[in-house]
This record gives sequence, C-alpha cells and structure tokens, in this order.
Amino acid sequence: MIDRRIFKNIDWIILFLILLITLIGIINLYSATYPVRNSHGTPLFLKQIYWLMVGFVLMVITVLIDYHVLERLAYPIYWVSVISLVLVLFLGKEISGSHRWLQLGPISFQPSELAKFVLIIALAKYFHQDENPDGYMLRELVLPFMIIAVPFVMILVEPDLGTSSLFILVGFVILLFLKVNLSSLLILAGALVASSPFFWYFLKDYQKNRILTLFKPSLDPLGAGYHIIQSKIAVGSGGLFGKGFLEGTQSQLRFLPEQHTDFVFSVIAEEWGFIGSGMVLILFIFLLLRGLSIAMNARDKLGTLLAFGVVTMFFWHVIINVGMVIGIFPVVGAPLPFVSYGGSSLITNMIAVGLLLNITMRRYIF
Amino acid sequence: MGIKRIKWLRFRIILICIVFFSSFLAIFVKGYQLQVLKRDELYKRAYMQQRRNITQQPRRGNIYDRRGEILATSVDVKSIYAQPNRINNLNYALVNLARVLDTDPHKLEKSMVSNKSFVWLKRKVFPDQVEKIRKLEIKGIEFVLEPRRFYPNRELAGHLLGFSGLDSRGLEGIELFYDDYLKGKIGRFVVGRDGVGRNLFTEKGKDSFFDGGDLVLTLDKGIQYIVEKRLKKLVQKTRAKGGTVIVMEPQTGAILAIANQPDFNPNTFWSYRPSNFRNRAVTDTFEPGSTFKPILFAAAMEEGIVKENDLFFCENGQYEYHNKVIHDVKKYGWLSFKDVAKFSSNIGATKIGEKLGKDSYYIYIKNFGFGNKTGIDLPGERSGQVRSVRSWSNVALGTASFGQGITVTALQLVCAVSAVANGGNLMKPYLVKEMVDHKGQITGRMYPEVVRRVISEKTASRVVSLMEEVVKKGGTGSKAAISGYRVAGKTGTAQKVDTATRKYSKDKYVSSFVGFVPADEPRFSILVVIDEPKGVPYGGTVAAPLFKEIASEILYYLGIPPKVEIVKKESDHKLYAGSKVGRPLTDFVFEEDQDWNLEGRETLFPNFSGMTIRQVLKVAERMKIVIEIVGSGRAVDQKPKPGTIFEAGRKFQVKFQPSSA
Repeated sequence: MIDRRIFKNIDWIILFLILLITLIGIINLYSATYPVRNSHGTPLFLKQIYWLMVGFVLMVITVLIDYHVLERLAYPIYWVSVISLVLVLFLGKEISGSHRWLQLGPISFQPSELAKFVLIIALAKYFHQDENPDGYMLRELVLPFMIIAVPFVMILVEPDLGTSSLFILVGFVILLFLKVNLSSLLILAGALVASSPFFWYFLKDYQKNRILTLFKPSLDPLGAGYHIIQSKIAVGSGGLFGKGFLEGTQSQLRFLPEQHTDFVFSVIAEEWGFIGSGMVLILFIFLLLRGLSIAMNARDKLGTLLAFGVVTMFFWHVIINVGMVIGIFPVVGAPLPFVSYGGSSLITNMIAVGLLLNITMRRYIF
Repeated sequence: MGIKRIKWLRFRIILICIVFFSSFLAIFVKGYQLQVLKRDELYKRAYMQQRRNITQQPRRGNIYDRRGEILATSVDVKSIYAQPNRINNLNYALVNLARVLDTDPHKLEKSMVSNKSFVWLKRKVFPDQVEKIRKLEIKGIEFVLEPRRFYPNRELAGHLLGFSGLDSRGLEGIELFYDDYLKGKIGRFVVGRDGVGRNLFTEKGKDSFFDGGDLVLTLDKGIQYIVEKRLKKLVQKTRAKGGTVIVMEPQTGAILAIANQPDFNPNTFWSYRPSNFRNRAVTDTFEPGSTFKPILFAAAMEEGIVKENDLFFCENGQYEYHNKVIHDVKKYGWLSFKDVAKFSSNIGATKIGEKLGKDSYYIYIKNFGFGNKTGIDLPGERSGQVRSVRSWSNVALGTASFGQGITVTALQLVCAVSAVANGGNLMKPYLVKEMVDHKGQITGRMYPEVVRRVISEKTASRVVSLMEEVVKKGGTGSKAAISGYRVAGKTGTAQKVDTATRKYSKDKYVSSFVGFVPADEPRFSILVVIDEPKGVPYGGTVAAPLFKEIASEILYYLGIPPKVEIVKKESDHKLYAGSKVGRPLTDFVFEEDQDWNLEGRETLFPNFSGMTIRQVLKVAERMKIVIEIVGSGRAVDQKPKPGTIFEAGRKFQVKFQPSSA
C-alpha cells in the first residue's frame, strides 16, 4: 500500500518551517509562563513539547495513509466530530462559563479544534467532483451550507464565538475558491448581510462588548477593553527591536491576559519587537505560500481542496489571532497555530500538516 | 487535469493570494504603527501602569500641657471607600449605606455611578458605624485606617489648640502655627506593581518619611480649666457678647492659660460658626480704658515728673480740656497721685499725661509693646493701633492717658502689665515650651526672652504699690482683693466705639481688670476682658470679682500660701512674715524701699519666722540692731516674741532649723 516513491517527495521546506515555528513557540512559551513558573505541575512549555511529540506521531501516521481514503471516510469522520460536539455540550467541563473541553481519561480535549479540520475534509469531499461549467447553483450549495451550519451552531452555543466564526470564514474562502454561479453568489452574500442583525441579536452581552470595544477600547478599560489595551501596550512598548527574552515587562508583570494562549503573540512582539514578530509572520507567510503551491500542484481536485482548506484554516487563525493582539480584530478565542499553548490545537495542526505532506508526496502518483 | 482547470486554478490562487497579502499588509501596517510610530507613548503607558505612587500618612504629633497632660492626639479610625464597579446589587447597597451613614441615597448614587474605581464614602468614621456597615457585607465597600485628630478635653483650650482638617492639615491655632512640625513628612513611594495588583519593590522615596513631632506647651491644663469654667459662668451671667482671660507667668512670658468666650469643641469644629474659632486674646483689638493707666504711671514715674504724694486737682468731675469735656465717674477735688491711681481719675490721668508730654508718653507706649505684635507663637495675631505721635492732638494725649484712642490686644496688655510685675522687663509671650521629635529627642526648647527693659526696677515696684492701692479698700478694684495675699491690679471700663455712628456708645462697654498675685513676688498675672456685659459695666464690679475668683483658685491650685500681714497703726511700717498655713514658706520678701531705721521711733519686733539667716541679717542691718543667730536653716523661734515693743539696747536672738525638720 505504501509506495516507496512517495518519500522522494517529502516536502522538507514545510517540515523545516513547522519545526522553526514550533521551536519559536516553545521558547516564547517559556518566557510567557516564566512569571508563574513556580506553580505546581509540569511547566507549560514542557507540556507543549509532549503535545508536539504526540502531534508528530499523528502527523507521521497521517502521512502514511493515502488521503484518498477520505473520499470514503469523510462523512463518517464528520459525524464522529458532530457527535463529539454534542457530547461536549452535555458532558463538557465548564471553564469560565463555556463548555469547550471533553475529558478523556487524564487529558482534556477540545472537539471544536478538530471539528475545523473535519469541516475542511467534509467540504473537500462534497466539492471534489468537477462542477458544471457555469459554477455551482444555489441548490447545490444547500448541503455544504448544512455541513458548515451544524458544527457552527453547536460551537456557538458552547459558547465559543471565535471558533464558530472561523467555520464561516473558512467556508467563505473555500466558496471563493470554487466556481459559484454569480447570481447564486450575490444571493448568498445578500442573505449573509441581511441575517447579520439577527446574529447580533443572539450574541451574548460580553460578545457584543468585545466587538464594540475593538473600535473604542476606552469604553470599558477594565473589562472587555482591558485585553486590547494591555495587548497594544505590550506590542507597542516592544518597539522596533523588542525588550529582549524574558524582559517583556507587560508579560512578566502579568498585565497581559491569556499571555500563553490567545495573546501569546503579544509576548513575542514585546520581547522581540517589530523585527522579531515580523519574522515570525514571514515564516507563516512562507508556510501559507508553500501550502498554496501544494494545493496548486495537487494530483486531483480532492487534494487541491484539502490543501487549500488547510491553508485557509491556518490563514484565518494567524490573521485573527494577530489581528486581535494588535487591535484590528475583536477579542475572540483563536489560537496562533504552533505557537499558542494548547494540545488540541497543536495536534490538529500537526495532523493538518501531515495532510499537506501527504498530498504533496502523492502528487505524481496516478 | 485540463488546461482550463489549470487556468481556473491559477486565477483563483492569484485571487486568494491578493486576499492573503492584503490581510498581512494590514497587520504589518498596524504593527508598524504600534511598534514604531506609537512606541514611545505606549512604552510610557507600560511604565506608568507598572508603577504606583503610594503615600504613607505620618502620624500627627501630640500636644501636651506643661505637666504632660494630653491636649491633642491622633487615633487611628477607619475610613470607608467604595469601588463602585465591584458592587453587585447597587440598590441594596445605596439604600442601606444611606441609612447607616444618614445621607441621601440619591446623592450617594451620584457619587457611585461616576465611573471611578475608588470613591470615598465617609472619612474617619466612628467605630459603631464601621461595625454596622461591615455587617451589611456589601462587596466593593472597603475600609482603611486613617489617623483622626482627637481632643480629649473637648472645648478646653480649643482656641489655642485650633484643629486640623481631614487630611491632617492644621487649620487653626497651634495646629496651624506648628503644622509643619506636627504633621511630619508624608512618605511618597514609587512602587513597582504587577498586573494582579501586588506591590513588588520600592523604587524610590523610602527614607523621606517620618512621623510628626510632639509639642509641650507652657499651658497648665488645671489653670486653663479654672479660667474657662469661671469665664463661661460670668459671660452667661452678665449676658456679655464675649470675654477673654489670659494668665501669664510675668517673669518668663510663658502663657499659663488663655480662654475666650464664645468657645467651641475642636472635635466637631465643623458644627460651629467660624467666628467661634477666633482666639480673641490675639485677634481682637479694643480700647483698653483705665487698665492702660499703669503704663502712664510707669512712664511718669520713670521720667521723674511725679511722686506718690504729688497733688492733682481733679476739677470736681468735669474738666474742660481743649474744647472737650473729660469726666470722672465720681467728683474729686485734690487727689494725690496715689489716689488718682486708686480712684482711677481720668482727669488726674489727663493732667499727668499733660505733664509727661506726648512725645515721651508715646515712646513708653511703644516700648511697652503696643502697636506691635508680641510675636507669640499663634496665628492671626494683630498689632493694635497706636497712631504716630505727630498726628496726636492735645485731646489725643489726654484721652490716651486713660486708654482711649488706642487699640490693643488682650495679650499686649497682659504683657505690658507683666513687665511692671516682674521689675521692668517686657517679655516675649510664648506658648510652646518644648518640641520633641518622632524619635523622642528634644529638638527645640524655648527660653524666656526679654524684649527690652521698659522701666527701672525701682519704678516698677512703685507702680506695683500704686496698683496695690487700687485693690485696697476704697479703690476701684477692691473687689479683686484676696485676703491673705497682696494683690496688685487696675480696673478698666471703656466705652466701645459704635460702628454705626463712629462715636462712643452710651451702653456698650468693655469691662476689664488686669493684675497679679502676690504683688511682691508675682506668680502669675491675669487679664480679664468682658465684652459688652449687660447691667453695671464697671471693671470693678464685673471683671474684678472674676479676677478674684480665678486668682484665688489658681493660688490654691498652685499651693501658694497666704501671708499674714502685721500692721502697726501708729506707723506706716509693715513687716511681713510667713504664716504656718499650708507648707513652710519658701521665701520671705520685704519691701526694699521702706525705711527700716528704727532710731528714735517706737516700733514692733518683727516676725522672722520662715526667713533665712541671710534675710534676717539684712533686716538686722537695716534696723541697725544686733541679732544672735542660733542654728541654721529657716527661722523657727525668736526672742523676744514678735510684736514686742522694740527697745534699743535689747538683746535679740533668732533660732534656725533646717526647713525639712
């Protein structure tokens, strides 16, 4: 089943980029958690290394299995994912008011992280046959709409606005990638705009606050605006060259909230400055470009869609996370891939990278 | 994979790349803006929020009287503040807080809604209120310890002490005058802090902090109490507008007591009208009237223009003087200088003033300290008004002779008379004796300070004699006499200037008495000033009795025993000796200027009891007799017995014993 030829095509560039980014992530995590280093238990940066190792094993497994099995397994996987999202709603551990984690023995796991990835697989599976030359019609989009809507709603009620909105964004970009009938596209766009006040109505007060404070953080400097203000101060005070490793006062003195998860990038920005954090972003851009090239050179449309979906997922995570840290996106929970602390996210991302490698390795096999 | 699909894919990829790049461009632009353009501003904000200024309030120093009794102290009480953003049930909080604090809930709401994280609810609250509020268990209501000023003796010496406000700032009296010393130094520290609000390290300013120092006053709480109690009673009885009494140590200028009416309780000063805070003894000026005459007498005697027995014609009560008519209360004909003093004749005084001349009189007035501040350590002192001598008319000289047309403060007057009492030195009055810093070290000690010698010792004692006449039977101040003690004093009854008509009022008077006890060796001088008493206004009937009451009680309080007076009617010679009342006499004093030459006269053998050997020998020398001394210490027995008729050539013997025996 495993063709030896595929190993000739291992994409070392992707592997190198991922290694570099995760290394930076772990070093930065060491700094971000430095002020709480005396707490009991394994230090977080060490835990992250364990997660990385688990993720690496899963990545290798992903590489070994030909991605074409997904043609058959995509929907079953999707349903497993949906069931885990149902389970988390009822059995999930409540952490600060939301049910996001599922306890599996000693480890807790965030089904919504995996669901993002599963969404990509399910959409790729649906769209992988050639479309008609005029593009997709509205009725052909009903099913994919449902594919997106089910996990979206379930994650929204967890509640996790950040992750659920990613479903919309990923879905939107994939739609952009496909050929959709122009009139259908316009109708879709119109429907989205028309329904947005409806969504606003359903948002919880704190979620509305997060969006409002993006535009005017001084509305609530100690509440929802606090994160944005503190993060901006951290980023800005880093200046061009940064304050140096372990020297970021904002993070070391614990002014930054969530400094090892969602706001981990502000630690990088504070300690390594515009140059350092810019370099990290450039690494991400290389990763995305490499991913696009994989998508473009994939053997078939399934490969293209899968690769493109993964790239889109990475793209939105980076943009939303960094945008949030520097104050151009609302404060929604979106981790920075490979850098933020978090096992579910890291493992999902490693599997996604495995999928990319899988696709590029098999591009010449017919 | 057809060509068409490749083309389609390329188009899409380019489209997507544009989306990607523009997104990243936005991020880079924003990052550049924050990290390069706004870097300094944000760096400063980071620095600012990581630092916190902390002030440590020093403890305000205590104020003690001369015996170490506490007059003012600081106790730690709780202040209540709110953190409105932490209060869950605002309505519940507002209603209950308003009830306990006795305020309007709407007013409270206004202060709470203001978007602050810190609002004072009430500063320096009494413990029972704190307990009530604590029981409400409202989240976001916090307590902090703050020092509160406490005056344990309530109204006592309130005008002198003054008070300090909420932020431990002296506002009146000694609290104001010595504020810098009492308040200490506020500690201002810059402390590094972290995001969860813990203080991490002290950056600077640690050693600048220290507590306030203590003050020890010359004031005697016991005397102050006597004075206030008596003054208050009299002011109520006479329905006077106000009153002032000063008690001073004439030899040193140390203030023993200053009392004013109306008074106030500095613990709750905010509930009084500010006019109550005035320490009238230094802030109010008045025309002294006849209590000023000792200054004229002193000047006239020092200049040698009058003798005790010089006669003045007092015009039978009406004296036309430069188109003005000067009145006496009673009609007098010829009076000796001594009697002019004793009966307080204005006409007599005018004539003495005329004889003295305005230039000379003016110099003495100024030398006695009038028209200038005494420099006492109290705020708000005024200098009074003594017009320049060049502008004095003849009438002005006349009226100034009996204390009109000149304004003085009560303190100036008591200082001037004290100068007469102590033998001629004008002393600078003072209230703080010692300053003790927060480490318990004495950093300042005040010593008596002679401003200047104003008259000779001899003149002083002659003025004292005149003033003693005033208190004797028939004198205007006879009601100030205290049996067993020699009292010197002078009454005064001054018409007040009506502010509306700018003429002397017919029914508004300032009634006063100034004097000292014992006259020969004064332990204290007292000035009594009663402002607008109702009924009979005379100093002799209003102020003199109060002087007597106060002086008697102070004499008793200080344990000063009376002296028995032996007078031989046939001669004017008087001898004094200690009685056995109370404790043994510590001193025996005799009049220096009396003629002790007994040759050719019949006189009595004096009582030597209580005298030292040296004093006995001095008397013997003056009497030109020889006395045999037996033993040492103080005189306890003598032969012959006191009062025996003196016979020349007789043997005299006085036995002495150490006073402790």
